Amino acid sequence: VKLRFSNRQVEAQPGDTVAAALYRAGQRIFTRSFKFHRPRGLMCCAGKCPNCLMNVDGVPNVRTCVTPVRDGMTVRSQNAWPSLDLDFLSAAGAMSWAMPVGWYYKTFTNPTAWHLAEPFIRRAAGLGEVLPTTDCEYEHTWMHTHTAVVGGGRAGIAAALDAAEQGETVTLIDDQPVLGGGTRYDRSAGQLAADVLERLESHPSVTILKNSACFGLYEGCLLGALQRQPHAGAVERLIHVRSKRIVVATGQYEVPLLFENNDLPGVMLSSAALRLMCLYRIAPGKRAVVIGDGARAAEVASALADFGIDLVASLPHVDVIRAKGSKHVSSIQATSGTFACDLAVVCGPMVPDAGLVAQAGGKLTWQESAGAFIPADLPENVLVTGSAAGQAQANGQLPTGAGKTSLVCFCNDVTARDLCDGIAEGFDRIEMLKRYTTSTMGPCQGRMCQLAAIGLCSRETRRAMSETGVTTSRPPAPSISLGALAGPRHHPIRRTPLHHLHEESGAVWLDMGEWRRPRYYNSGAATESERACVEREYRAVRERVGLIDVSTLGKLDVRGPDAGKLLDQVYTHRFSDLKSGRVRYAVMCDEAGILLDDGTISRLDEHRYFVTTTTGNLEFVFQTLKLAMATNRWAAHVTNVTGGLGSMNIAGPLARAVLEKLGVRDLETKSFPYMACRESVIGSVPALLLRIGFVGETGWEIHAPAESAEDLWNTLLIAGAEFGITPFGVEAQRLLRLEKKHVIIGVDTDALTNPYQADLAWVAKLDKAEFSGKTALCAASVSEQPDRLVGFILPGDSVPEDGAPVVLDGRPAGRVTSSRYSPARQAAIGLAWVPLQQSEEGATINVRVRGQLVSAIVTHESFYDPEGARLRQ
Amino acid sequence: MSFLIRCPQCGERSVYEFRFGGEDCSSPAKDAPEADWMTYRYVRKNINGVQSEWWFHRAGCREWLQAVRDTVSNEVIETFLPGERPA
Repeated sequence: VKLRFSNRQVEAQPGDTVAAALYRAGQRIFTRSFKFHRPRGLMCCAGKCPNCLMNVDGVPNVRTCVTPVRDGMTVRSQNAWPSLDLDFLSAAGAMSWAMPVGWYYKTFTNPTAWHLAEPFIRRAAGLGEVLPTTDCEYEHTWMHTHTAVVGGGRAGIAAALDAAEQGETVTLIDDQPVLGGGTRYDRSAGQLAADVLERLESHPSVTILKNSACFGLYEGCLLGALQRQPHAGAVERLIHVRSKRIVVATGQYEVPLLFENNDLPGVMLSSAALRLMCLYRIAPGKRAVVIGDGARAAEVASALADFGIDLVASLPHVDVIRAKGSKHVSSIQATSGTFACDLAVVCGPMVPDAGLVAQAGGKLTWQESAGAFIPADLPENVLVTGSAAGQAQANGQLPTGAGKTSLVCFCNDVTARDLCDGIAEGFDRIEMLKRYTTSTMGPCQGRMCQLAAIGLCSRETRRAMSETGVTTSRPPAPSISLGALAGPRHHPIRRTPLHHLHEESGAVWLDMGEWRRPRYYNSGAATESERACVEREYRAVRERVGLIDVSTLGKLDVRGPDAGKLLDQVYTHRFSDLKSGRVRYAVMCDEAGILLDDGTISRLDEHRYFVTTTTGNLEFVFQTLKLAMATNRWAAHVTNVTGGLGSMNIAGPLARAVLEKLGVRDLETKSFPYMACRESVIGSVPALLLRIGFVGETGWEIHAPAESAEDLWNTLLIAGAEFGITPFGVEAQRLLRLEKKHVIIGVDTDALTNPYQADLAWVAKLDKAEFSGKTALCAASVSEQPDRLVGFILPGDSVPEDGAPVVLDGRPAGRVTSSRYSPARQAAIGLAWVPLQQSEEGATINVRVRGQLVSAIVTHESFYDPEGARLRQ
Repeated sequence: MSFLIRCPQCGERSVYEFRFGGEDCSSPAKDAPEADWMTYRYVRKNINGVQSEWWFHRAGCREWLQAVRDTVSNEVIETFLPGERPA
């Protein structure tokens, strides 16, 4: 297996992690620290500390010590310039005296100072760089299991087998590539029974997730797990594991001891040294000093000796003064002398990894005898077992030893002195100290530093450990990438039944919510500008006949004995008295009288209505109707038939001729008047015809079964060819409707608009006994509205942008919501919000168009055919 | 928020399948004073404890249901279809 690292090839062995392969190849500096760019080497080898974060295949901040190698991987360092070994930014370390705790808060109180300093700080401080153009793929999946076991060590495996043998489905989640936990490298962790892994892996009701870190335990026994490299096509997979019961068997982890330069490469935790030796057969050094007390130190020393590493000295923690060396440890200075070495193995305290329990609401209480915070008061359905429960704890002295410049927080370069200074400045509670010093707030989320920070706080404030307490645990810990949370880059698009026909006709697309619609058609003539295309489509509708796909309209079938009552309640108009075969405009308001949606409602027969909604509001309208049914216990059925119908609108003075040619009869106004509907057959396709006129011409909205929509569209185009029928898109439709001064709710109106402001007073039927928003509309009908939505005409062809301000006395007093150039008026027309005193017919308003103030005339009439004569022809 | 809601028709499901429909508050009488209507439109009790509320099972049976939930612990104490509260 080969991987690329900083322009060189590194040979790796199968089973290696990236960090192990690099270590074997002689790399000792893995990162530069966040603030002072101090060199950092492997410290925990378990994915807990921040020391091995690198960019792997374009993904920043990857914990390389738990990332298995793959052939052809590209690994780059982060936060170092020009390289890890020679980093000029480490000059920041010489300035550390100028950056005491809280300097950031104290220095940049002046915005100018901040703006001057920001570019430098941004460049010098930080972690990996997130590239906006990354093509990494992330996945989301869901799993359901009876028992979820977190941690694949001895205790986790036992718990999983136990549950599985009782007949439960079990999911075992482990953050390492291989199960076994401490038993794989640490004699003190004991051994797994010979066949236990085989029994577990072959058990039919056990699912095992390896390389998966649990970052959160949420209510309802939901675990968030992040699986690294689930397969070659994905970087990470976020798994939601829902269970009935969670067993936390996350074990324990070792944390550093405090002495000066305790972060030098070559100073590593004993568990890391054991991992390198036992898991990857790598000698972590040649001449080692063991720092630590008691049985653990003796055990580690013997393991090092077994591996053929010279043991220079074994020093108790209290004796150690500092590690020496420029980029790697070269000796350890202690009270008993200075010991030359290339490896310092630190036997730090063991911390039960009970963060998940604390996240879920469990308490962590200090136990003096164990020297650790032990989980207690477990939340419902959460169990803790093994060393995560504190069963193995026997820590000696706390890591609060000498050395003011000892690093406590490796992530953010916070020293023991910084913490002491913070306490002296009054931030003497652990939660405040955390926020002031940012200790425990880095990528390791306090795993490496929390115990030391609490110990120091307890010592400095002379409060007991139990009183000092722990900081609040919150997910996600360990930190996870935003890409994993965002999930797959897959955006489903809804296509209308006519999509492929539009594609063949050269549609230029417009995304509208989940739908994709033709904006306009550019049929072959590539030189034709958008404006020319739209105007061609516009003229076809005004002068001959046009055809538009309106399948995206929300369509609901409402039927049942209470259907009329239901619609009366939800919409402002009356529908219970609508005659069969008639259509009525429908407006929906909320209880505060705010315009929510509009559409048409057709009565097909006594108990059956056909309701259309705007494209984006279908779901909302559906839920609103269902809620009214539920609260009033009405007998009705609301069925969403949007996807089942292909819909199109044929409009223009020759629309009738096209339909008549296809054998549809009785289309004359006296037998099929404006706002009437009829079920009919066009060609051979059964269809519902509504005679309505959004675009202001004689026209029919046609709803046909989706599977026949293409057939119908083609039939209409062929029959209409001799009349010059032209398909038109959304852009032409918007222009056509704007000439009719039809308001689009949600575009021209906002979350505070009532009908009286939008020239829609006629829609509120205040004589109706009861409907949603009636009391508010009654109040609005007699009160003066502070601003109005009006039409305006602006001579010339300079069209304001949507959102252009309306200016009164030099101040913005309103805004343009829609504006287009109107071929019918040979001027820019539009809709705008204006203050009341400027809202009368003929008033002059000033609109800012690309920096220039221009005068426009207010009108309340539609810009085209104000009497609506063409609609009714 | 990741608690479970027992839909009376579909069984126990993740809260993400549902749309929250707000507190259960009945509308005032038609001729009630405007102040009552103002309260109905704009004022919510925002109970810190057990409240009765509406949920819509968006990704399930697509029906409205009512739930009694402790807003502190997110424990859903009972759920039922409108008007079918068990005695």
